[in-house]
Amino acid sequence: MILQLNHLQGKAAGATQEVIETLYAMLAEGQIDQSEFARLRIQLDWLQYKKNFREVVLVTPDKEPPGVEAPLLHIQVDTRQVAPGCLKPAMMRAMIRHKPRRGAELPEENLPLEEFKPFRKSIAWDFNRLYWHRLKEWEVATGQGYEKALPGGQSDANHPDAVADGVADFWTLIRDLDAKNQLPPEIFLMEIGVGTGARCGLFLDRFHALDTQRGTNYYSKLRVLLGDYSLQTLDRSRTAVQKHVDLCSFVVLDAINPIKTLSFLRHKLLHVHLTNVYDNLPNDELLRREGKLYFIETRAFLPMTEVVRITEKYGLPIEKTRTLVTRLLEGGPDYLGDYDRGMGFWMEIWDAMRLEERLVPIEEMVDTLPPGVDVAKLEDILQEAPSDFRFHLSSGALESFSNTIPLLYPRGYLQVQDIFVTDFNQYRLGFHGPGKLDGSIVNWVNGVLLREVGERAGYDVHFAPFHYRQGSKTSILYTTSRE
Amino acid sequence: MTLPILPTTVVGSYSMPGWLERLKTEYFARRISRHDLDEIHDTAVKADIKDQEVAGLDIITDGEARRDNMIDYFVERLPGVQIDRSSKKFYYDFYDSVVQGKIPMASLGLVPDFKFLQANTEREAKICITGPHCLTKRIRNQHYPNEESLAVDLGRVFNLELKELVKAGARHIQIDEPYYSGFPEDLPWAVKALNAMVDGVNAKIAVHICYGNRYGKPSWEGSYRYLFPGILEAKVQALTMEFARRGGEDLDLFKEFNPPFQLGVGVIDVKSHDVETPDLVAERIRKALEVLPPERLFILPDCGCFHLPRDVAFAKLKTMVEGAKLVRAELKK
Repeated sequence: MILQLNHLQGKAAGATQEVIETLYAMLAEGQIDQSEFARLRIQLDWLQYKKNFREVVLVTPDKEPPGVEAPLLHIQVDTRQVAPGCLKPAMMRAMIRHKPRRGAELPEENLPLEEFKPFRKSIAWDFNRLYWHRLKEWEVATGQGYEKALPGGQSDANHPDAVADGVADFWTLIRDLDAKNQLPPEIFLMEIGVGTGARCGLFLDRFHALDTQRGTNYYSKLRVLLGDYSLQTLDRSRTAVQKHVDLCSFVVLDAINPIKTLSFLRHKLLHVHLTNVYDNLPNDELLRREGKLYFIETRAFLPMTEVVRITEKYGLPIEKTRTLVTRLLEGGPDYLGDYDRGMGFWMEIWDAMRLEERLVPIEEMVDTLPPGVDVAKLEDILQEAPSDFRFHLSSGALESFSNTIPLLYPRGYLQVQDIFVTDFNQYRLGFHGPGKLDGSIVNWVNGVLLREVGERAGYDVHFAPFHYRQGSKTSILYTTSRE
Repeated sequence: MTLPILPTTVVGSYSMPGWLERLKTEYFARRISRHDLDEIHDTAVKADIKDQEVAGLDIITDGEARRDNMIDYFVERLPGVQIDRSSKKFYYDFYDSVVQGKIPMASLGLVPDFKFLQANTEREAKICITGPHCLTKRIRNQHYPNEESLAVDLGRVFNLELKELVKAGARHIQIDEPYYSGFPEDLPWAVKALNAMVDGVNAKIAVHICYGNRYGKPSWEGSYRYLFPGILEAKVQALTMEFARRGGEDLDLFKEFNPPFQLGVGVIDVKSHDVETPDLVAERIRKALEVLPPERLFILPDCGCFHLPRDVAFAKLKTMVEGAKLVRAELKK
């Protein structure tokens, strides 16, 4: 048996003893045999996010080619969720579900909400989308704005000093271009994922003040695009940029593919900014074990105990749970008859939703890799990485990056404030998602892959710590054009 | 060989396949020998030639598969220029290069490339060489008093090479000067260096001036207006320029200044993977015909196809040839 302890914190390490005792007890009671015991691979994690997609015990089978006698059984334990006495039954349930034994009582079934698939295509992202489209309703139901769910209770996007420095960087660029007679007649810039619009408003206030002070007449040349996939969010942001609204266009776009909407602005944008967008884009995870790469497929499910509880609470027919979920995702909470009941159903189903996993050799998943990444490149990139670790593919972020940089003016730049892993070793030092943040999904973003993809696309990708708020985990990604 | 009216060609490079990129990088990691890499290059060049022939081009190049980029292939061969061979992470990166003494006259060894191309095609062959201004912007100068002196001396060394190429049978030579657009203030001395390079060279010489294509993206933006009237001093027969991506507005400069050159008109956007239609290509050619007569035009993409996927590059060249045929047919009526 291999026992791997990952990023355990404080008391969570105490669960190690309980895990060992549980496994030995199961061996002694004949619930697992000696050969299975020898092939177990137990991983203990401490999940950073209080709300996440994991059960206390998650069993992941290897999908090995036929002929492999006894596949490893990969068991992940979230030590944060381990309560006294809960581990053994949870472990038993998970293992029996994976491999039913003669005479053993089968645990209640979970209710799968989909088939196994790449996580980025999971129904979980439909919930995420619903959240952003119906944000206001969620906020009314919870009684707090979405920013309250962020670490620090507010968005780092709106920090006045960070915005002022952002304006200064942009100013330097346009002044340099102007000095070389290369400043285009219209100065396009864009923010994707506008939140409340506060950052954009602050940016324009500051820019306008500088322009007036210096008499440069750049302000009137600005063409500001506010892009978001939620019309509701765009509407809300309008108030924050009211003073500058004549310069602003509000564009519904998919952050994953901005050039699809804005192809007429190819090579025209001098600056694109995003805050906390990449961490909320569909993601996949890969596992590297003993030099082999696996793609992690997931399947969203609801624990049956939760299905029973929720449907009883809201007086809904249990056998129609899946249909009700589909209806919720298609039409929002109104479509469940009674709006309050619909909201409650939404929030509780989301809270209960978990993911199970299976490993698929990467060679079978080559078509699912994001642009700029293939297996050969991944192997190159992983040469210096740990041999056993799990990491994000950051599919949506890579796709967004690749579909945004063609919009940049030759000396234009992209700036992204987000939570980035900038060294593969960081994956061994902490859990980086997926987690739940209110009704949305959060994942750290694989900055190593972004840097590699950027280099091959003609941009150096740099990361600077967000030093404007003490304890912030945010970094600032910015690009410079490669020679 | 007689060329048709509105002859078609490439700017120089053809698509660089991913497998060749990896093999080049393997060579830098010393996992492939020079001999093997040379064989791989020969095979790739033959494939590039074949694709251009099948696409129907009238004047073809070797596709530049041997080149890591438009700079290093030449600085490696320039006597007196030192390069730091550890300064590359990918084959496509530029070497850090420096000149610390006067560059001596010596052959750069480009003739075998041209002969290989000639031996493998019966079509008209063209060789493309990076110009002295562009190289001056990439080589660190620790000897010459200024950029102009370095550029003019580079022009002198390249002049010898061009004459060797002409002796070997080269009739079409293209000099690539994309950095003009980034440093328009250099134009007076850049043209002087260009003239030193082409002095007494008996071939049809074109200068390619675009807005950059490094990593398949433009390096600068602006108007070709900066070229005039300075470029009129250039002792070349043709300019090749980027019009597909940028639009044809600057074609009017040819009306305004009536330069004595032929124009290689870029009708294929090499920074987009969307394949043009023959009709769109024809429309772009017709726009150029409003400014210059057909005998002064030839047809090519905006720049090299280096960054395009193979299938896209091939489809674009094919559609370019079809578009040219449409216009030729109209001109015959």
